[in-house]
Formats: sequence, C-alpha cells, structure tokens
Amino acid sequence: MKNIFVLAEHRKQNLRDVTWEAVAAGRALAKELGADLACILLASSVGGMAEKLAQECPKVIAVEDPRFDTFNSEAIMKTLAAILKDQGPYMLLMGNSNSIMEIAPGLSVVLDAALATDCIGLEVREGKPMAVRQMYSYKVNTLVSFKDADRVVATLRGGAFPFAPSGAAVGTVENLTSPLGDERLRKRFLNYLEAEKGDVDIASADIIVSVGRGIGDEPDMDVFQSLADAMGGVLACSRPIVDKSLLPKYHQVGTSGIEVKPKVYLALGISGAFQHVGGIKGAPLIIAVNKDARAPIFRVAQYGVVADLNEIVPALQEKIEALKG
Amino acid sequence: MEIIVCVKWTPDTSEADLAIGSGGKDIKRDSLDYDMNEWDRFAIEEAVQIKEKVGGKVTVVSVAPEDAEEMLRESLARGADEAFQLWDDSMEGADGFATAQVLAGFIKNRPHDLVLTGTLADDDCGGQVGGMLAAMLGVPSATLVSKLEADGSTMKINRELEGGLYEALEMDLPAVLSVATGLNEPRFVSIRAVRKVASVEIPVVGLDDLGLEESQVGSAGSKLQIENVSLPPEGEGAEIVKGSTEEVAARLAEILKEKGGIG
Repeated sequence: MKNIFVLAEHRKQNLRDVTWEAVAAGRALAKELGADLACILLASSVGGMAEKLAQECPKVIAVEDPRFDTFNSEAIMKTLAAILKDQGPYMLLMGNSNSIMEIAPGLSVVLDAALATDCIGLEVREGKPMAVRQMYSYKVNTLVSFKDADRVVATLRGGAFPFAPSGAAVGTVENLTSPLGDERLRKRFLNYLEAEKGDVDIASADIIVSVGRGIGDEPDMDVFQSLADAMGGVLACSRPIVDKSLLPKYHQVGTSGIEVKPKVYLALGISGAFQHVGGIKGAPLIIAVNKDARAPIFRVAQYGVVADLNEIVPALQEKIEALKG
Repeated sequence: MEIIVCVKWTPDTSEADLAIGSGGKDIKRDSLDYDMNEWDRFAIEEAVQIKEKVGGKVTVVSVAPEDAEEMLRESLARGADEAFQLWDDSMEGADGFATAQVLAGFIKNRPHDLVLTGTLADDDCGGQVGGMLAAMLGVPSATLVSKLEADGSTMKINRELEGGLYEALEMDLPAVLSVATGLNEPRFVSIRAVRKVASVEIPVVGLDDLGLEESQVGSAGSKLQIENVSLPPEGEGAEIVKGSTEEVAARLAEILKEKGGIG
C-alpha cells in the first residue's frame, strides 16, 4: 500500500470524533507500511476544518461543493470515486458512523476495492494489511485479510482507535475543484429531525437501570421501573425493547438512541452490542447481569453476574430498600 | 409497485453457547438454530404494507441453502406474492460482496421499483449487501431507514443518524433501501396463513440462470478471507460476582451503595 487516505466526516460544519480516530489509525498504519497519509475533506466550506486537519495530518485534500454540506452519500461517493480512481494501491479509512455505513459498501464496489466494516483493530502481517472485526452477535473476534486486493476500504468502530493530538504535523492543503457536474442528485436532503422528547431525560440521569432483550418476550416492566425507583434512578433500555414497543424511543441508549453519561449503569439482560455501548459515555461504573457468560457487555462492565434476572432483580430491590433503611 | 425484498438465513447466536470449529476459521454451526435475520423481517413487513397501500407485487429472495425454504415460506405467509431461493453449493462461504453479486444477478433482469433489505445481519455484522447491491444495479441507496413513504416516482424517507438525530431525504426510484429494526411491527403469522402457502412452489435459481460463474460466488468470489476466529475469554474485564441469589443481591447492593448507585 503506497497511500493511506482518511475520509473526514463532519456534521453541521464540525468535524466528528470518528474522523480523529480514523486519523489515529491511519497514522499508525502509514508508519508500519511506510505509506503516505492524506486526509480527504469534502465540505460546503472547507476553511476551518481543513486547517484543523492539517495540524494532525501531513496532507489534506479539500474539495468544496454545497452538495457536501449534509454529507449526502451520493455526492460523497461520486467525488471519492473521481479522486481515487487514478491512485495506485491504497487503503481508505473511515469511521463506522451511520453516514459512512451508507457510503462504504457502494463506494467499495465503484472503486473495485475490498471492504471490511466496523473494524476494531488493524494489523500488518508480512506487509499486508488485515483487520479484526466481530461476528455472531459481536461475540466472536475475526481476523480477515483482503486476498490480493490493492485497494482496501475499512470502516472503524467508534472508540476502538483512541486519538491523541500530536500537533507536530503542519500539513499542506491541496484544494481540488469539485468533480460533480450540475446533474441532479437522485437522493436529496430535506431536513434534520430530532427524536421525540419524553417525560424522562435519561441523558442527564446519574443512575440508570437499563434493560435489554434478555428480559424476555413478555416482561413485567413494573419490576424494572420499581428497581430504578428504589435506586433513585431512571429506566432505560437497548434497541430491541423499543422495537417491541415495551418502552418509548426516548428511553433507548445507544449510538442511534440517546447518549448517556451516568455515574452508575446497571445493565439487565443487555448483550452489549457496540451500538448500545457506544451510547454510554464518561466511563461510569457498569454492572451487568446476563444469562450468557460470553455476552460482550461483560467486557466493558466492572462487575458481572451470570444469572436469571427473574431471581436477582426482586432480591436486589429488597437489599437496596433494606440498606436505605 | 414492484418490490423485491432480500432476506438472509442466519444462525441465532445471541444467547447460544458458541464454540470454534476444528479449522479455526468459523464457529461450530451444527447445534445452532437458524432463522430469518431479524432486521429482514421488518423489511418484508414494510414491503407488504406498501403493497397493501399502493398495490403491486412483493417478491422475496435469498441466497440460501435448501434448509432455508422454511424462511421463504414464512415470507409468503407474511404476505409476499412469490419467493425465490438462489443457490448452488459453490455459493457457500460468501462475504457481503459475493452475496450482493448473486442478488444483483437475479434482480437486474426483473422489474423492480424498490428493493428492501435489513441494514445488518447478526451473523457477520457487516452491513454491506444493501449498498453494494445498489451500486451494482446503478441505483441510489440508503441505510438505517426508519420511515418510508412512497410518492409516485420518488420516496420520502427518514434515516437514523447518531444521538437521536434523523435526516429526511427524498429519493428517486428505483432505489435500494436498508431498513432499521422498529420501523414497523411485523405481523403475527397465523397457522392459517402458513397453511395457505404450504403448496406454493419456491423455485431454486442456480448459477446458469443468474449468468454467473463459480469464480464469482461463494468464498471464491469474496473479497475478504477469514484467517481465524476466536472467542474472547469469558467475563474478560468484569469481576464476576458469584454465590446464592441472596448473596449476589447483597453484594450488588453494597457495591451500588459504595459507588453512588443508590440516590
């Protein structure tokens, strides 16, 4: 691989955290492969963002077009295809965000590149890049190679590649003209929508009791609400609970739900898929109760219990009430 | 409206005890139950609801071996009009790219206004097929679609971004949309509905009919190669609290009290 490219992602004219994590991964990989690192910024106005990237990246390729403003996947894909089509062997890194999930698969086909999504690690073995990803309900780690592909696209799981500013690079910014003609895009942005707000604000709660698929198909939600009440906390949940209409959407913790930053997070019957764990910020104390000893939640929890919730929850509530006197 | 829904036959691993197979490149699959990928059930429901509203036809298709026939039959019971199984033994071991290639081979020669699928599957957690298929068919795509509304030759959709934010988009048809779970409530399938479709033929479509070669499908046609798989050690990270229910509850209550978990 001669070149490592990183696609910068932004929203509302701000670079997103996943961008810096991709820069961190790109730096490490470029060093190991002896490749050049460049960041690609596609935005309606590149100025401030290009400058910030140049502080951390030796080269920034910047393209302005109003159609990049909301990160329209069609506009981004066409432009990347135009920029990268004549490049030699390369690897393109991007965050595995909800926007990139829409771009990476189609882009890899257009670029005739191999694609690994949601990578938690990148390695080089005998000069070849490989990726670590998770499969089977995120319970199994998998090392994948790219056969003999000389173009590779990898999307990176949020939080898996920590970034620390180096401030050492004073990169150059190369401005390119947008390759998009005046054709009408087949996909057009209309507006942003905020999720419905409810009577509970889990984002500001210090104590959260959160329930997931493991509570069963016809659970008695009062049992969990009552435990949350006893702890002086709020009740939250993972995605399957909302999908089954057991709780409204504004209770859902996760990257597609609400980001929370409690002091204590009690996870009941939650497997711990990254979409859920990604919504828990600020390193709280996590206690997990799950029947499955291999549930990924036990990898992020400080304390775990492998047990049946139906027995533990009422017993726990009793003990808590006794402690409160 | 002609709607094609792509579904996947996946092992249920969410609560199963997993073990690594002898080659070290996959898990042991013999003892696992298989079912339709959960995300795809929402795609079928959405397709059937659109058909009920604006008319048309729903076709369900899967790249899946013989055992998966029951999934396609369930699709018919859910309201699909026809179902096809795309299979040849050489399709075994496909990654997202090789799977999309087979689906594209089938779909490109059939009328399609809208192609629906789930955003992710629980087995490979890849989220690749929808977007790849769209690029192969030369049509626009969207993922994590949480709402869609057909409006003549265009479609209005909402898709999930992060932190409770959504974007509303307008898309030209045909398009490939990968749906999020929770965008509808998949209907209950009655025994009567299942009986009604018991004798419907589900054609198996092979390589020749798809215009594909063995080298383009399965592990040979894949761009990714699995080097090895491993199970992280149990409870890695967490201190596992053990004992009787009584003891465990008492210990948890203490930890909570000490760490500010009782307010």
